[in-house]
Amino acid sequence: MLGVLNVDWQTLADALALGAVYALMAVGIGLVFGVLRLVNFAYGQLVMAGAYALAFASQWNWPGWAGILLCFAIVLTLSLVMDRLVFRPLRTQSPAVMLVATFAVAFLLQSIALLWFGPLGKIASSLAPLNRPVTISGVDIRKIAIVAVIVAALCLLALQLLLTRTTVGLQMRAAAMDFRTARMLGVRANRVIGGAVLISGALAAVVAIMLTVQTPLVTPDFALRDTIVVLAGVVLGGLNRPVPATLGGFAIGFASGLLGGALPTTQSQYLPSILFAAVILVLLVRPNGLFTRDRESLERV
Amino acid sequence: MRRRVVLVQLAAPCALVVAVALLGTLVSRSSEGYFVDSLVKVSIVVALYVFIGNSGVLSFGHVSFVALGAWTAGVLSVPTAEKPAIMPNLAHFLRSTTVGNVPSLLLAALAGGVVALVVGLALMRLSGLAAGIATFGVLEITHNMLRYYEKIGPGLNTFSSVPETTGLLQASVGALVAIGVAFAYQRSRFGRMLRATREDAPAASAVGISVYRQRLGAFVVSGVLAGLAGGLYVHLLPVNTESLYLDLTFVTLAMLVVGGASSLWGAVVGALAVSALDSFLAQAENGVKVLGATLDLPAGTRLVVVGVLMALVLILRPSGLTGGREFPLPRRRRA
Amino acid sequence: MLTVSKLNQYYGGSHTLRDVSFDIPKGACTALLGRNGVGKTTLLKCLMGLVPARSGALMFENTDITRLTPYARARLGLAYVPQGREIFPRLTVEENLRMGLATKPCSAAIPAQIFDMFPVLKDMLARRGGDLSGGQQQQLAIARALVAEPDVLLLDEPSLGLAPRIVDVVFDALAAIRETGLAVLLVEQRAQRTVALADRCHVLSNGELRVTLDRSDAADTEKLVAAYFS
Repeated sequence: MLGVLNVDWQTLADALALGAVYALMAVGIGLVFGVLRLVNFAYGQLVMAGAYALAFASQWNWPGWAGILLCFAIVLTLSLVMDRLVFRPLRTQSPAVMLVATFAVAFLLQSIALLWFGPLGKIASSLAPLNRPVTISGVDIRKIAIVAVIVAALCLLALQLLLTRTTVGLQMRAAAMDFRTARMLGVRANRVIGGAVLISGALAAVVAIMLTVQTPLVTPDFALRDTIVVLAGVVLGGLNRPVPATLGGFAIGFASGLLGGALPTTQSQYLPSILFAAVILVLLVRPNGLFTRDRESLERV
Repeated sequence: MRRRVVLVQLAAPCALVVAVALLGTLVSRSSEGYFVDSLVKVSIVVALYVFIGNSGVLSFGHVSFVALGAWTAGVLSVPTAEKPAIMPNLAHFLRSTTVGNVPSLLLAALAGGVVALVVGLALMRLSGLAAGIATFGVLEITHNMLRYYEKIGPGLNTFSSVPETTGLLQASVGALVAIGVAFAYQRSRFGRMLRATREDAPAASAVGISVYRQRLGAFVVSGVLAGLAGGLYVHLLPVNTESLYLDLTFVTLAMLVVGGASSLWGAVVGALAVSALDSFLAQAENGVKVLGATLDLPAGTRLVVVGVLMALVLILRPSGLTGGREFPLPRRRRA
Repeated sequence: MLTVSKLNQYYGGSHTLRDVSFDIPKGACTALLGRNGVGKTTLLKCLMGLVPARSGALMFENTDITRLTPYARARLGLAYVPQGREIFPRLTVEENLRMGLATKPCSAAIPAQIFDMFPVLKDMLARRGGDLSGGQQQQLAIARALVAEPDVLLLDEPSLGLAPRIVDVVFDALAAIRETGLAVLLVEQRAQRTVALADRCHVLSNGELRVTLDRSDAADTEKLVAAYFS
């Protein structure tokens, strides 16, 4: 394929899948940011909780669908608890306090997991068959890669429909643009925020399911690296708008997957440095993100 | 401000440090370690305070300077004969140079300052969320580089064979130096100008204060102190890239927040208070006798408790235990 | 109707509204006039609950709404068209209108009469709010408030920045709205036209309601000037 990098179809498929998963995480983070102006550092912990749910279901020999249900139940509950106990009291605080607080919550949840489950980790193996490859015209592609891309596309489509065609979605979009005016028109703040939190949580559950197929070992720092990289991607793409944020998440996932798979290990181990150097560069040059148009010139006075 | 008030504001945190050090001489050898550790943490948290407290800008990246300071001091003070054992791929210059204790600390501080300058030149334009993420990026890059670039240090390995020179004396001297520098900075013109930008950046800018330059200044000073703290650290415990990464970032930020991010007194109180709690919990994890009963907490409880404490403070009293104020003199009643 | 009793409001340290009392009857247009900065916008914000009042009472029909949140007041039937319109520029005209339905159950639809009153909006349903002209945005803002079928309509300087021809359209619409039985409170700067439209005009001066004019006083310039500068 690309002459310089050693890319084959399998690497390409895996990179697409990673991009898809990261895109979903980016949406989850972006949705909550839109209505609360709060970056949830603890988003990765939601994914971790979902992964542990799947691990336990697997340990108890539950059928696959039951594990998935448990995963959703746990993640959605935890999301709502986070909203009630952490986001709501913090709504009036400065962005700096909110940032440190979610960082603290992220750390707290990880510590609780470490305390409760121990550092060794558990295996979530119910959906393991998806990790096996299927041969398409002579190329081995893991089933999960195809599933991930399809599921992500479906989720994004469903979300798009929800946001544009339903009243709840419209109110969420309006609240993200101008919270005060929305409230003045009678929109219930808690309902809109709760909706965003729930959708964000649902996406985290989906991500947990897909990630455990590729990485069945669930440890307290499950998805920590991924969250950090997705955050970088979201900032790169443009935190303020949903589409650029999603594109940013996809782009960084795809780039990570491609470079990680294509570069020799001696170079690919420096991938985090390259990625974050890029993030810093973008923050300095285009603080609003790469994929946003410069709206200043388009705004009517 | 009256001379007396100023003196008390400096004396209070210093006195606290000295008190802790003296207490440390009274306990058993095994417990002494906790005291030394807490005093080194004071240096780190004070370094954090110099930047975050005065500028109001969040930085997740200061532990990078601690790590770089640790690397500098560590690599240069491991006896030449032992270097190939833990650092086989070290660059030639580093392999053949070995310095003594104090020079290693000074070089650590210098390293911290130089890197902080380079990083700060780029990043000090940012604030708020962007600054948080960019400094987090610095932490990630440093962690990544130190872990894999074996020409400058032990990489994945743990630093061993570093002379263990940080005892109660060295740690407290280091803490006092940090407090002294931080105090001098905040009392100086630069400190005041920076605090003006914290309160109201546009207004400060309008009276001619360069927000960028003042932030850069504080960033460099805090980088120097963080580097020094890193040097102290590497002479205390065997460190590696993981112990100077996210956990330490979180704990030191928690200490600053719990104590009160806007004052030096808050930084020192926070560091010592949380360290005390952490040490107590660490002992409880190994089984300790409290008021006649035995407390045996499962391993990992400490982090949870510190985490809960930090979250509670942020939600209920964001200005911290000290309310962000310096040590208050009792008011004298006018006759 | 809405009754305001002895409303007191402070802005920073200054006493901006002093014992203001008046009522806004149904089926009539009540106007609030006064010089710039005299507190008219603050008063409207107090009525809507966006700004808390220091003391005083607000009664809507027989309900005491003094402590209610803006959201609750909207649900009861108050609608507010702020200065600067504050429509959602990135949402379409239709979506902006649908946002006005926030207090209604999910199945509610935009009433057809809105388009009779503001026909220009019907042609622009798919256009983004930000692409409309100032006058069209003003019509959209009023239409959005009306979509909720409120009982009280509060308007803050709707003619601000509009060309005279558009001001005609807006004021005609306000007259029509009054006919449907709403209680309208209009804050304005264009004294003459407002006095001609309104059933009653209160003039706010130094935080107090000093003078009340009615339609017959519209032509009396001297009286207007005296009222403003008393």
